[in-house]
Amino acid sequence: MKYILLMTGTKAGVESYHAWSRKDVEAHMAALLRLSKELTASGEFVATQGLSEPSEAKLVRGEKDGIPVTDGVFPEAKEFLLGYWIVDVESPERAYQIAAKISAAPDAGGVPTNMPIEVRRFATPRT
Amino acid sequence: MKYMMMMNTMKVGQGVPAWPKKDLQAHIAFMRKFAKELAESGELVAAEGLAFPDQAKLVRAGKDGLPITDGVFPESKEFLAGYWIVDVDSPERAYALAARVSAAPGIGGEPLNMPIEVRQVMSAPPPEML
Repeated sequence: MKYILLMTGTKAGVESYHAWSRKDVEAHMAALLRLSKELTASGEFVATQGLSEPSEAKLVRGEKDGIPVTDGVFPEAKEFLLGYWIVDVESPERAYQIAAKISAAPDAGGVPTNMPIEVRRFATPRT
Repeated sequence: MKYMMMMNTMKVGQGVPAWPKKDLQAHIAFMRKFAKELAESGELVAAEGLAFPDQAKLVRAGKDGLPITDGVFPESKEFLAGYWIVDVDSPERAYALAARVSAAPGIGGEPLNMPIEVRQVMSAPPPEML
């Protein structure tokens, strides 16, 4: 069964990362890279991707003539998707375990972020 | 350049299944046609639908590294319902595609005009960070 693990944050939260030291950023990235390697080795890795900064996000609606109406204003509290992992696992519990590993990646200063990771199953394929 | 187009839903329980069957079929047919067109133009990278938000879990690591699982979300939380990743020549093309998805038919065949969040997908981190 496939699950997507979603890392989210507010615009202000994301901007606070800019204050991290290079060493802390490297330690954080190294932990996540190690996890990707583990998941690849276990055959559970499907995909991972990071998204650009929330300040670049656009909200698009289609008008009657099909022309896109573009807006870049979001509520302050909006949780933006920062990145995701897609894993193919035997059980939801395993997906939660992997999410906990992402949550435990080091923060600025080396302590675990303990950030919440949203875990969602993919819809079963439509027939 | 790669863009992710996200369809978000506001609340648990406001799912598509409450629609009349005919409208639901028209909506799915539209989405399938859209995916087929993107595949043919070579712009489709990935597309997925997610299971309903009532199954969503929030997971944190405890001090021992074990998962702490929670299923309670704020009422105002937006849930990701599904997404497309497209590889396009310009942001404008991504917005045009998002506008098409936004106009997918809803109840009675009327365009939903739902907002689609469009975000550029980052390239891999620079090699010196790995």
